[in-house]
Amino acid sequence: MVSVNKRITEELRAEAGRLLESGEIAAFLGYCRGSLPYAPRPFVARTAKDAERLIWNSFCVINLANYIPGLLQELDSEHGAGDEISGPKVGVVATGCWSRNIVIQIQEQRFTRERVLIIGVSSRGMVDRKRLHSAVDGMEITGIEEEDHIITLMAGGEGIEVPRWNLIRDNCRTCTRPDPVFFDEMIGEPQGERSIAEPFSQVEEIESLTPDERWEWFQQEISSCIRCYACRNACPLCYCSTCFVDDSRPQWVGKSLNATDTALFHILRAFHCAGRCTDCGTCESVCPMGIKMRLLTKKLQKDLLELYDFEPGLDLETPLPLSTYRQDDPDLDIVSEPAEQDGVRPSRKGG
Amino acid sequence: MDPDARKLLKTDWSHLLSILEERTDEMLILAPSLNEKGLVDWARFRAGERPVLERGLPLNSVKRFCFPQPEELFLFSCRPAEPGAFRLQEPARLEKNTVLFGVRPCDARSIELNRLPYEHDPYFNSRLESLMVIGIPCRETCSTCFCTWTGGGPQGTDGMDAAVWEYDEGVVVQLLSEKGEKFFSSLSATLLSREEFESLFASSFGNLSEDVQNPADLMKQKPLLSCYDAPFWQRVADSCINCGVCTFLCPTCYCFDIQDERLGGQGRRIRYWDSCMFPLFTQHASGHNPRGRKVQRVRNRFMHKLKYFPDRFGPLSCVGCGRCIRECPVNIDIREVLRDLLQVPGEESDS
Amino acid sequence: MRDRSQEGWEPKIVAFLCRWCSYAGADLAGVSRYQYPPSIRIVRVPCSGRVNAQLILDAFKAGADGVWVSGCHPGDCHYISGNLYARRRFVLLKRFLEFVGLEPDRLHFSWISASEGEGFAEKATEVTEKVRALGPCKRLHKEFDSNQENIW
Repeated sequence: MVSVNKRITEELRAEAGRLLESGEIAAFLGYCRGSLPYAPRPFVARTAKDAERLIWNSFCVINLANYIPGLLQELDSEHGAGDEISGPKVGVVATGCWSRNIVIQIQEQRFTRERVLIIGVSSRGMVDRKRLHSAVDGMEITGIEEEDHIITLMAGGEGIEVPRWNLIRDNCRTCTRPDPVFFDEMIGEPQGERSIAEPFSQVEEIESLTPDERWEWFQQEISSCIRCYACRNACPLCYCSTCFVDDSRPQWVGKSLNATDTALFHILRAFHCAGRCTDCGTCESVCPMGIKMRLLTKKLQKDLLELYDFEPGLDLETPLPLSTYRQDDPDLDIVSEPAEQDGVRPSRKGG
Repeated sequence: MDPDARKLLKTDWSHLLSILEERTDEMLILAPSLNEKGLVDWARFRAGERPVLERGLPLNSVKRFCFPQPEELFLFSCRPAEPGAFRLQEPARLEKNTVLFGVRPCDARSIELNRLPYEHDPYFNSRLESLMVIGIPCRETCSTCFCTWTGGGPQGTDGMDAAVWEYDEGVVVQLLSEKGEKFFSSLSATLLSREEFESLFASSFGNLSEDVQNPADLMKQKPLLSCYDAPFWQRVADSCINCGVCTFLCPTCYCFDIQDERLGGQGRRIRYWDSCMFPLFTQHASGHNPRGRKVQRVRNRFMHKLKYFPDRFGPLSCVGCGRCIRECPVNIDIREVLRDLLQVPGEESDS
Repeated sequence: MRDRSQEGWEPKIVAFLCRWCSYAGADLAGVSRYQYPPSIRIVRVPCSGRVNAQLILDAFKAGADGVWVSGCHPGDCHYISGNLYARRRFVLLKRFLEFVGLEPDRLHFSWISASEGEGFAEKATEVTEKVRALGPCKRLHKEFDSNQENIW
C-alpha cells in the first residue's frame, strides 16, 4: 500500500506541474529532497520539470508562508512588476497552520489574495529533529524510510523502527486544526478538527511555578542562545524591514551575547508575534541549540484565547486582536495572577 | 601524519584525565560535554567527568576562544564629574590560560586559517597566546564531514599543541609545541619511537582516507566574475532564510562589527560577530547596501570562503567540519555549492 | 551588584504618563501639595497607547526597579481609543512578563485623570511601597558581564 505522504507527493507533482505548464502560476513553493535524510529543502519550482522534484514527508518543518512575500518580489523583478492583483502568481503547498499564516499575511497586506494559489494538505504532524536524534541515541542517521505509522531510521548499520507519533513535534501533538482553513485546492483527505484534552498543559506547568522558579526556567532555557536569529528569520510573521534588534538609536537590545539582551530578544520576539502566531513550531524546529521558545508564544496564544476568545488566521475578516479593541474588554484589574481571575474572564472557550 | 613529531607518549585515559584534573585550578579547561538539553557543546571540564568525544563535533566551534562574542576593546566612563571620565580603560582579561581538550582536526585547523586575516590583530593574538589546544584526531568520519576536500584531514594536527591519538587499549599523547610539552610535563608514560607509533596505529587509523584534496588552487584559477555571475546562486538563495546559523557555528567565519554600548554612566566598545546573512552587514551610512538582496548575501558567504579568501590568502576559508550542513534549517549544503563553483567554466587569464 | 541592604537604597520607578490625564494628575498632586515618594521618574508620553513593550523593557534594562504606566480612563482618551488598544497590550504583556519570571509587583498600570491629584499621589505611594518591598530589580537589568570565566 502506498503511504499517505507518497500519494500526496505524487498528486502535488502532478498538480504543480499542471499549474506551471499552463502558466497559471509563475512559481511553486514546496520541498525537494535535501542532502541529509531528515532535512528536505524548501524549493521553488519554476517549470513543470522542476515540479517533478517536489516531495512531501514528515520532515517538512519550515513554514513555507515565510517565503511568499520575498518570492513575489523576485518574480516582480524577473517578470516586470504587474499590479497588486494581476502580477505573477505563486503556488504554495500549505498545511493548517501555514494556511492560517497566509491569511494573516494577506490581512497585514503583505500581498493580495489574488497572487497566491494555495494547495492545501492536511498535516499528519512533522518530526522533531531532536527527538529523531535521541531515538538513535545521538548516532548518525544515514537513511530514513517512512511509512504511515512507522519510521525506520538507519543508524549504526542497522534499521531502527520507531512509532512515527513518538517523533512528532510538541506543537503538532497539540494541534487542533491539521486541515488547511484557507485554500484553492486540496490534495489528500482532510482529517477534521482534533480535540485535544489539554492543549496548554506545557504552559500551565510553568504557570504553576513561583516567579523565581519561572525566571530560572526562562534563563536556563535561553542560556545557550547564540543569537543567530534563525527563530526570527524562519517565522512568517517576522518581516519588519528593520527588526528591533537592528535599531541602534535607541538600542532596545544589545547585539552580542549578554544574558539580559538575550532575554529581551526572546521576550520581544515572542510578544511581536502575539495574536498572529499559529503555533507552526518552525522557530523551535530551526533552533540549532534546542531552545523551546515556542512555549513563549504558546503562553500568549493561551491568554488571547482566554481573554479575547481569539484564534489567529481563521478568516480574512476578523481583525487581529492587538489592532482592535472592544469597549467592554476586561479592564486592567485582570492583568495579574490569572489563576485568581477565573470568575471575571469573558472567555467562552479554553481555560 | 606529522613527520616532525617531537614526542610520542603512550599512556591510558585515566592517567591522561588525571593530568587535566590536576590543572583545573590553575587553568580554565574546556571540553565537549552534554548540556542540559542533551546536546554536545563546550563546557568546563570537571574532575571525575569524561569528555564526550563519541557523539560528533560540539555544536559550537572553537572560534569563540580567539574571537569572543563579544570582545571588549575598552571601557570608559561618561560621567563628566567623575575623575577619569572619558579616559579609556583596559578591560579585565582572563588571567588564567585556557585549555581546549578534545578539539577535532577541523576545528584546530580553523585557528590556523583565522590567523591569516587576523595576523596583526592584537586581540586575536593575545587570546591565541593564552590558549592551548589539545586535539584528538578522528578515527571515523560523519556523513557531513568533508575535511579532506578542503586541504585538511581527519588525522591532521595543524593548530594543535598536543594530539591525543586514541587506540583500542589506550592513548598516545603527541607533543607538538612547547606549550604542550609544559602541560604534559608530569605525564608518566612510555616514550614511543616513530616506528612503534606507526605500527600501533596501522590497525586503528589505517582505513581512513588520507587522500586530501585541496580545491583552493582550482578555485584560484576560476575567473572571479564568472563565479559571481553563475546562475546557480538564485537556486541556493531560493531556500535560504538568511539566518545566522551557518555563520555563527562556522569555525572560520570571522566577520565582525563594532559598537559602543552605554549603560548609565559606563560605556564599553565591543567587537562582536557579524554575519553576511544579516541586513546590517555592509550597510552604508547612506542607507545603501551593496548586498541588500538575499541572493547577494548568500553569494557573499560562499564567495568569501571559496573564492575571495583563497585569492587573498591561499587556502579555502573552510575546514569541512560540516556544522553548517548539519544545522542549516533549510539544508543548504556547501559541498554542492563548491561542486557548482568548480563547474564554472573558464580559467583566469594572465592578462 | 546593587543590594537592598545598601544604605539609603530607594527604588527607582519609571512612570510613563499620558500628557492629557495622568501627567496633569501629577501636576495637580503637586500644586495641591499631596505628598508622594520621590522615587518616581516621569516620562511624558502623548497617550498610553504610545507605550509599547520595548519602552517598558528598556526601562528595566537601564536599571528601573519598577515601571508604571498610567493613562486616561477608558472612554476618556484624547484620541478616542488609544488607551483601549493599550489596555489589551498591557494585560497581555504583564501576564507574559510574569510568565518569564518578572515579579508581579514590578510593573503597574492605572487609569488616572487630570482631576485626580490625590489619586495620583496614592497610586505613586502604593507603587513605590510595592517595589520597595521587592528590593532592587535584578531581572532584565543589563550589566556588562566582563568576567569571561563566569560564562563557563
